[in-house]
Amino acid sequence: MERQSSGVLVQRRSRQSYRSYVGSHLGFTPGFTQRRLTTSRVAAARGRRGARAPGGRGAAEASPAQLALLAREWQLSYVTPLYRFRHDQLRSYARQLGAFLAAETRRGEAAEAGLQDGLKVSITLVAGMAQTEEDPDAVFIQMHSKRQFAAPDDAPRLAWSGWLACVGGDADYLRSLPPDFVCLPLLGASGAEGLTALVKAWFRRTFDCCFGPLEINSVNLQWLAALWTDCHAQTSIQQLKLVWSLPVEPPLQVTYTVHPQDAWELWKSVRQPGERGEEEVGEEDGSIAIEEVARFIKGLQSHFYRHFRVELSAEQLTQVSTALGAAKHSGRLKISNSSYMITTLTLLTECALLKMPI
Amino acid sequence: MAVTLHLPRPPDLSSSSSTDSSSFNRSVNRSVRVAEIVRRKTEAKDSLVAALKYFAEVEAGTPVQGNDELERNLVSVERVAYSKGLSPEAISVMLEFAMSLRMGTSPCVRVLKCLLPTTVVPHQAVVRAVVWLCVGKLPISTQVVFIKWVLTVFDMIDAKDHLRAIYGFLFSFVTEENLCPYICHLLYLLTRKESVRLFRVRKLLELQSKLGKQPFLLHLLSLYKVFCPELVTLSLPSRMRAGFRNYNGPWKTALIAIQKRNTGQVSSDLPLALETMEKAGSRKRKLGHMDLPALTPVVQIQTQTSYNKAVVPLAHINSFVKLLENLHLIELPAQMGSLLGSSLALQYLDCVQDESAFLRLNFWLGHALHEEFLFCGHGGASHSTDEVVKFLERLLSSQHFLQEGFSSTEAFLYKFLNVWDGSLLRPQILGLLSSIPVVPSSCIGRLLFEPLMQLFLTSTLFFKCGLIDSLNGMLVKWLTWHSVYAREDGLDISLNSHTSMNMSLSGFMHSVMELVQFVGRLASMGLQLEGGHSLLLSFVLDFYDTVCDMFRKYGLPLLVMPPVGVFYPALFATDSVSVDRLAQIMYRYKINLTSAKKQEKQTEQAFHISRQTYLEFNRYLVFMVNCLWNSKVFQPGNAVELSEELLLRSRVPQYWASFDLIHHPAFLGHAVDFHHKCWPEKREVDLNSIKPSKVWGWYLEYLFTQGFDGLKQFIQSNISWRPSSTSGAKTTDLEKEQTPKMVKVYGVKVSQRTSLPRAIS
Repeated sequence: MERQSSGVLVQRRSRQSYRSYVGSHLGFTPGFTQRRLTTSRVAAARGRRGARAPGGRGAAEASPAQLALLAREWQLSYVTPLYRFRHDQLRSYARQLGAFLAAETRRGEAAEAGLQDGLKVSITLVAGMAQTEEDPDAVFIQMHSKRQFAAPDDAPRLAWSGWLACVGGDADYLRSLPPDFVCLPLLGASGAEGLTALVKAWFRRTFDCCFGPLEINSVNLQWLAALWTDCHAQTSIQQLKLVWSLPVEPPLQVTYTVHPQDAWELWKSVRQPGERGEEEVGEEDGSIAIEEVARFIKGLQSHFYRHFRVELSAEQLTQVSTALGAAKHSGRLKISNSSYMITTLTLLTECALLKMPI
Repeated sequence: MAVTLHLPRPPDLSSSSSTDSSSFNRSVNRSVRVAEIVRRKTEAKDSLVAALKYFAEVEAGTPVQGNDELERNLVSVERVAYSKGLSPEAISVMLEFAMSLRMGTSPCVRVLKCLLPTTVVPHQAVVRAVVWLCVGKLPISTQVVFIKWVLTVFDMIDAKDHLRAIYGFLFSFVTEENLCPYICHLLYLLTRKESVRLFRVRKLLELQSKLGKQPFLLHLLSLYKVFCPELVTLSLPSRMRAGFRNYNGPWKTALIAIQKRNTGQVSSDLPLALETMEKAGSRKRKLGHMDLPALTPVVQIQTQTSYNKAVVPLAHINSFVKLLENLHLIELPAQMGSLLGSSLALQYLDCVQDESAFLRLNFWLGHALHEEFLFCGHGGASHSTDEVVKFLERLLSSQHFLQEGFSSTEAFLYKFLNVWDGSLLRPQILGLLSSIPVVPSSCIGRLLFEPLMQLFLTSTLFFKCGLIDSLNGMLVKWLTWHSVYAREDGLDISLNSHTSMNMSLSGFMHSVMELVQFVGRLASMGLQLEGGHSLLLSFVLDFYDTVCDMFRKYGLPLLVMPPVGVFYPALFATDSVSVDRLAQIMYRYKINLTSAKKQEKQTEQAFHISRQTYLEFNRYLVFMVNCLWNSKVFQPGNAVELSEELLLRSRVPQYWASFDLIHHPAFLGHAVDFHHKCWPEKREVDLNSIKPSKVWGWYLEYLFTQGFDGLKQFIQSNISWRPSSTSGAKTTDLEKEQTPKMVKVYGVKVSQRTSLPRAIS
């Protein structure tokens, strides 16, 4: 009985992972099929971005609020649409969240809403993140705690921060929601896990939404690797580091570090000639096709195979890191440079939207 | 505040005593002892009237010490109070007397203790007593006794609105440390949304900081939170005692005794305690997506604007009556998922028309299901099966109650069926499957049939039975939905009461057709794979029980005959129950087809049952009659044809009769049994001796008494047969002996090309 049930679970899981791979990345999910595509959307977003800010990919173009998203490692979650979330109520939300946190920490004692003595919560808009008219504005949440014996002029310590964003979300899906709902499907959280849980609980109660972990699977990690390598011409990526995990007991990892110049050469060589022709015309308006990404990764893998006789294509890519950013399969993301931040978030928004139950 | 003093009206009291005296007159004839009792009662009444008069009119400052008159009157009031309780007027007088301290504080508590109402407590009296409370002359202990008394008789106060009007006055007493617990309880009973104000919240918080986490403060605050979550933030400790303490005081037992004496029954115990909190303290929150959220009201952000309508949070509704009273005012909770947790809330959900509300519910439900079953791959240990089962059972019962499936369940199932192994939580998943609403025929194959077919072919017999049963349930729900929601014109039906999506009747019929044909395919294959297993066959016949009545029972102009893969295994089944059920189903088909035919002639309708169905039915019918009745099973022209050569080579004697009602494997036992009963002395069983017309008739009678009702209906409706008649009998070449059976098969009349003769003889 015991063995049987565990066998069932294993089987279920393996079939599941196959399904989610197929379902989400080849654009075929039984039940809802329309809003699934990977390549052209990212490309389109990039195209728009290029058109908006020609020539500039540096940090200078990012707003200060956007800069706050850099240089921290975020734990990603997906969020179902928020019910009756209003961007003009952010101050009052901040007050309530503060009171909620206070009440939760002092369990059993009531607190008046709006009274904050522990954490100071601020919720602000992040301008310039929305890519389309349907995208709601991103929201940035910060919590500062006062140190107990701090000097009066000491800056309060940042205890927790997080953001909710929708960047280039599927327009059809966003339009299909009733006006009462605001879709901000991507949550990045950085700080104590307990606080993350409390913030999620407050959102759940206030906006009747649900949170779930957002993993970045192999295909998306490959996308990120290609995206960041593509930036090398403008900003050095220092090195391209890829980590594969081998499903053996005990688990093994293959860490594959590529010299940036080699990676760049390889990337240039796999770019489709037809594409490149267009790119030469539009200069910045390049787009990346999934085939190019596949060829790029294939190139890296076959190189590895020639040296070590290990077929990496059978393994799972769990981590990608460059100087521009790092992403892990578990849903940890770090963006160190504002280049391609929007594109990265567009990709992740898409992943989050794929997780929506309806 | 103007409160008028309601003095007792002497005429009332005297009139009651006069009626008593008249009854006294009537009882003169009775025994003296009874008369004596009545006289004493009357005296007591009179003395009570006198006593009340005394207490109403006694001068302030009358000494208590050595006052015999006071003592006598008090005793007479007490006697009545403890035996029968006091009338509303008496309560008013005595309460006024006690609270006004006209004779000082010493008789006050004694009077309060005997204030036991017979029927109701007039609210004016209570309000006036509170006025005296505000004067502030009463000692604290007496004040406590008074509030306790109010709490005890709270449900007997005739109108509470006036008490609510002096909420502020009552609230001012919370600062009194000794009174605070009781006042909090009273306020808890009186609080309405409009009485929750910021300054009161602040006052209570201030008290809390002074007194610590007192349960009475927390309960009152949590009620405030229910009404105005924007003012109070509070999370109750998981192990807090539920409810206020029950201050029984000296009155409770006496009150119960009086009620018992007066009416012979005790009203149910006053439900003063809060409902038990469902927070399970022991179980730490794990992933939490299988837990139902708590029923909490919405935090109102925009306070003044758009908030003039008085709304009642659903969390504050605890009875069906209250639900009905406030149906138009109810405010949905903050988390729609919480509605699944209570049966009352489900009642309300049934009337909710708001699409957003359902979307919220579906987001939550879909998220829970997806996280539990589809996204569970990331190492996180799954929940205990118990919890999941409980969750699914609740979901199932909710869907059953609402009589429709949630769209998120549907979307989830379409994905889950592709990865399901067919054994995990089978009953629950199959239950969910059966409540999938009508699927458009364009995608039904891809979404449902493909994964189900795979599962069906690769799984055990029990799964096959379960799946057929579940699809039967689905079909019944679709048909019921059609018969209830079909529009007047019969062309459009709304798919779901909460969406505006419509489906045309032809679209619906296509879907039903697809489903029935799909189950037909499944059943044919399943019966073949399982060697015509009786259990599976039984479930398949269950399904056709539904199908054969689609026209009559559900008004759908569509009938689909079972495929050969179902019909023949059922007809040649070795158990008589299956054959009987098949006969029953054929009988129902006939009734449906004939009435469809009749209706078709009468009204020109857009939809007809196809000719093909009639032909198919007739072919089956002819075969069935030939097989069971005429003993001509392999006759050329029948559906099952075997070359004579082959049949002879099988060396089965009288092979043509091997499936008639006597030799059919399902009935052979009955035939032998019948033979024994007819000719107990015969040692050799000769089944052919049943063939003669007369015996055949007895045999049929015998079969009918064995409970083969389907067979009975089938034979009676399809074969006109008179056992006595021998005329017109015709022997066929194959039959050695004459079967004197006049057989007539009524087919449903079809086009000229039909191969069915009106009668076979």
